[in-house]
Amino acid sequence: MQIKNFLLLGILCANVFFSKAQTEQANLSGRLISSAGEPIPAASVKLQNSRHGAISDQNGYYKISNVKPASYILQVNAIGFKLQKKEIKLLAGENGSVNFTLTESTEQMETVTVLGRTKAQEVNRQAFNVTAIDATKLYNTTLDISSALDRVAGVRVRESGGVGSNFNLSLNGFSGRHVRFFIDGIPMDNMGSSFQINNIPINVAERVEVYKGVVPMWLGSDALGGAVNIVTGDKHRNYLDASYSYGSFNTHRSVINTAVTSKSGLTLQLSAFQNYSDNNYKIQIEQLLQNNMAADKKSATVRRFHDVYHNETLIANVGIVGKSWADNLLLGVTLGQNYKEMQNAATPIAVYGQLHRRGNIVMPSLKYKKVDLIPGLDVTLNANYNLGYETTIDTAKADYDWDGIRDGKPSMGENENGQHRNYWNNNGLATAMVSYKLGKNHGLAINNVFSTFDRKQKDLLFPDLDAKNTPKKMDKNVLGLGYSYNVDNKWSLNIFGKHILLRSVVNGENNKESNYKIGYGTALAYYVKPDLQIRGSYELANRIPEANEVFGNLENFQGNPSLKPEKSNNLNLGIIYGFKINEINRFSITANAIYRNASDYIYTHIVGGTGPRREWSTSSNRQGVRTTGFDGEIRYSYKNWLSAGGTITYQKTKNLQKHDWDPNTGKYSEAISWAYLDQMPNIPYFFGNADVSASFKNAFGKGNNLTVGYNMLFVDRFWLDWPSFGNPTEEDKYSTAVQLTHDVNFVYSMKNGKYNISLEARNIADKPVFDNFALQKPGRGFYLNFRYFINKSQR
Amino acid sequence: MKTTFTKTLLALAFAGVLSSCDKKSDREVVPPNPGNYIIAVTPTAIASKADYLVTTASLDTGKVSIIGNGTEQAGLYRYYVTANNKFFSMLYGQGSPGAVTVYGITDGKLKKLNDFTSATVHAFAPVNNDILTIKVPRRIAAAGTPTVYEWYRVSTVTNEEIAKGTSDAIAPSGNGEIAHLSWIKQVGNKVFAPYFSIYNSFFTKFPDEAGIAVFSYPEMQYEKTIRDTRTSFIGRYFVDGLGLVENGDCYAFSSSVAADDDPATTAVDAKMTSTKPSAITRIKAGTTEFDQTYFFNFETASNGYVITNWLNIGQNKFIANIEPVATKGQYVTGKRLAIVDVVNKTVTPVNGFPEASQISSITTTNYSPKDGKTGYIGVNLINSTTYIYKIDASTATAKQGVKVEGGNITAIQHIQ
Repeated sequence: MQIKNFLLLGILCANVFFSKAQTEQANLSGRLISSAGEPIPAASVKLQNSRHGAISDQNGYYKISNVKPASYILQVNAIGFKLQKKEIKLLAGENGSVNFTLTESTEQMETVTVLGRTKAQEVNRQAFNVTAIDATKLYNTTLDISSALDRVAGVRVRESGGVGSNFNLSLNGFSGRHVRFFIDGIPMDNMGSSFQINNIPINVAERVEVYKGVVPMWLGSDALGGAVNIVTGDKHRNYLDASYSYGSFNTHRSVINTAVTSKSGLTLQLSAFQNYSDNNYKIQIEQLLQNNMAADKKSATVRRFHDVYHNETLIANVGIVGKSWADNLLLGVTLGQNYKEMQNAATPIAVYGQLHRRGNIVMPSLKYKKVDLIPGLDVTLNANYNLGYETTIDTAKADYDWDGIRDGKPSMGENENGQHRNYWNNNGLATAMVSYKLGKNHGLAINNVFSTFDRKQKDLLFPDLDAKNTPKKMDKNVLGLGYSYNVDNKWSLNIFGKHILLRSVVNGENNKESNYKIGYGTALAYYVKPDLQIRGSYELANRIPEANEVFGNLENFQGNPSLKPEKSNNLNLGIIYGFKINEINRFSITANAIYRNASDYIYTHIVGGTGPRREWSTSSNRQGVRTTGFDGEIRYSYKNWLSAGGTITYQKTKNLQKHDWDPNTGKYSEAISWAYLDQMPNIPYFFGNADVSASFKNAFGKGNNLTVGYNMLFVDRFWLDWPSFGNPTEEDKYSTAVQLTHDVNFVYSMKNGKYNISLEARNIADKPVFDNFALQKPGRGFYLNFRYFINKSQR
Repeated sequence: MKTTFTKTLLALAFAGVLSSCDKKSDREVVPPNPGNYIIAVTPTAIASKADYLVTTASLDTGKVSIIGNGTEQAGLYRYYVTANNKFFSMLYGQGSPGAVTVYGITDGKLKKLNDFTSATVHAFAPVNNDILTIKVPRRIAAAGTPTVYEWYRVSTVTNEEIAKGTSDAIAPSGNGEIAHLSWIKQVGNKVFAPYFSIYNSFFTKFPDEAGIAVFSYPEMQYEKTIRDTRTSFIGRYFVDGLGLVENGDCYAFSSSVAADDDPATTAVDAKMTSTKPSAITRIKAGTTEFDQTYFFNFETASNGYVITNWLNIGQNKFIANIEPVATKGQYVTGKRLAIVDVVNKTVTPVNGFPEASQISSITTTNYSPKDGKTGYIGVNLINSTTYIYKIDASTATAKQGVKVEGGNITAIQHIQ
């Protein structure tokens, strides 16, 4: 019966391919510019009385593919410009080209938004608690994705140092692996240290979406606290975008993104990037760290001497685009490697001078996507397999102090016994998503994500340990089903369910585990008026411990095989409101209240030195943790050249575990814990950003733009341990001090964005800043960035 | 429109109020208790968290709390030693340089005198005007690399590391296994380091021999090993098995807890393998040999207990933790106390101490004024209350003393 249906569907599909192939389709493309010659992004281009349309990209280009040959009225609608229409006739097989020069409108606009509504803003209007960063606006910066995320309300990215350092993204009090990362909807869990948000430049993305608390089912995952989806987008068919920057601490970054596409739809897409930094910034060290230094080198500040980081990554895809049976069919490979020196352990007390880490990614991938395979039916398939490995190398026969002088010794290892062990996680991933639109309002979708993990390791120093290795395997499947009902600009509803299945082998073949969890959620948005949206969402989220949490990373993270899955009730309530005082002063406000109530909450804590490593951390379950909080964003624009805004986040993450675990008795204690209802330690709870930028059009020449921007970051002090323990004064209790940093940037674009030069100054006050206890981040730095962009609008 | 907007704001405000409406049940606030005793307390709310130090004027009565009081210590395990009338808080980490904070007491309050880093705090003891620390390997080094102790001398006068060096860690055992030092102690002008020999994983194939490595000081030259086959190894993991009495004689206890991997199971688990009883032996003052004329069979004298730790209270007397032979283990600390007189070879159970079944753990670093009579022992009960008990050796009785709130007692120390 099932087979019959399947065959039937196959025949149906084949028919569709066939019938589509019979009549040759037409394509239409072009560019939109203002009367001043600037490109107009985010404009809607529609063929009236058809389903065909497009949104112009950041350089004003649009493309509408696979149009039935006929006569149409082409309508161009851009905010702040007069509506334009043009009659066109498309012949079979024709690749028509129509450019528009739009004139600015001073009339009352139908929709008020602060700026033109880009795709990112469209995402923001979903019923989910989501914020999208328009990455295209940041292309002339040297930001990586994690630093861009740091500007989102509710998000804190805590870094342990400079370029390539460890990071921990916290989202509404949830952090670490509670938050999952995706690239184009594909989970990034398996991509290793060579492909992470702290080394992917912002230029690789078109936008970055941050889902807080409630994660839509089409991002198939068992995220608990939220998800970050990096959307690389289709961008352009033929373009070259290259940038290079150089800055303080001998930091070099380059990015090249390019694509060539033939008329027949054969395409080659390349994205290559590189980061290099000595990270030799100065840090202030306490008296205690100076004692063992050579007498003439003793100083309250020292330069980091063993912190070089570099990574090189190439993503290549070949395939076909724009066919009637495939929008994309791409065969690709991601190749990358990274090298990271470790200057210190969890705190600067333990100094290293030779210990380092390497990793690589060798990941073949397959991507297929077709929108409207049959009208209303969209299909996306992805698969990849990571053959890469990770290793930590500690074979020094020496010790180091902050003076950087090598003190030789007979024994091996800056940590006990030394280490040189390679491991391969052998991660495979396959995802499938099928969605179907029923009429104008209804949508149905099914999504399945399957992943495998099978760690193999090889000890190069102690080969006898290899014999003791137990199998470490983990297969996970997340199946999601969703329904949506949507009335444009009125209201929308999403309901979804997720089924998570886990099979793992933790300690020996006899120790197999199989487990499943069911979660569900809903998201509802209502437009009081087109610019006032109220939205609420809820999810019962489940998360299965990840392979690294169970098995460790063989370096500074100890696995915990007895971790239990965690569960959370996540609730969001928010409003988005756009308004104006008059045509030139416009505002938008976003405000969210959040509630998270997690049981068996998995948290990471430092365990310290009982093992061979100096300081390491592990994950444990906590019976209950509840977060309540508020975050908000306000943006203001004056005419179309000045923009200012700010975000603010305040959240309380409370410990709900009522009884402490007593490891001596193996039971929970009867007494009420001293930490019950105390704030969870070491989590920032009050922070915000502010920014102002001004654009000067046609500065020093027609088609040249100058943008001057300023960013501020504020994070309030937070305690390292439970707030109620110890004497709450600076000398008796450890904390991470208030952070306040100011960054400024200048971007000068010439020839309508073809050539760009930017200068950034970060932490201009040169104040010592810390995201993590005792781990100082770089001080003042200057970065000069050159970018070249060319887009051939040919087909 | 306006009303919807207001309503939404109201809802948001309500959510905000929700987040702040629960409060902790009102707790009695325990004020600071200035004094010259220092108690290190480990919070129990998250496993593996370093201690808070609080002071108290008396160990006999009253209450101290680390809720709102106390000085936070960084890291995980900390060990404490007093030397030169200074309190040294030392971070333990097998691989780590140890962060060491030095405190004095002024007007009953802890005063940070200095802090510095040295190497790991694994085996450590005051020697002359120094604190000697030794990093002990736990497995045979990678091919081509020697397996060595790394020792460090820290001056208690200048609070600085003043010398360091290495010494072969296999030579003392003479059996090919690592001589894992259980503790170090200055005896005369030598450093005595009792050890348990291990191949990897804290197991041994030589369960029926005792050994003490002898080093010269300050050169830290390995000189010889004092051997005995009447007992299993001296001391235990992180337990000082040597007791120096007033006449210069050195007493040594063995718990008889040598272990090897149980061949009956596939998992890595310990099986007690020593055939020797738990016993106390002696090294006469000025000699470097076991006194073969002295043997104190602890199991017989106590009617079936092993000794797991002791506190030297002076005048040849010790307060010992004892554990029935049947339940002894490598890391089992006895929850019963007894007064041990090493000269008269007597073991007297202590009365008035909580029942073993009510005890979660007993503090390892305890305090005695060394008057031959008094000792203070920290007890963490399973009902989460924690007290220091005052032990009177003359009557072999225990009396509840100061109550400690917020966690478990790790150490009790006193400085002037």
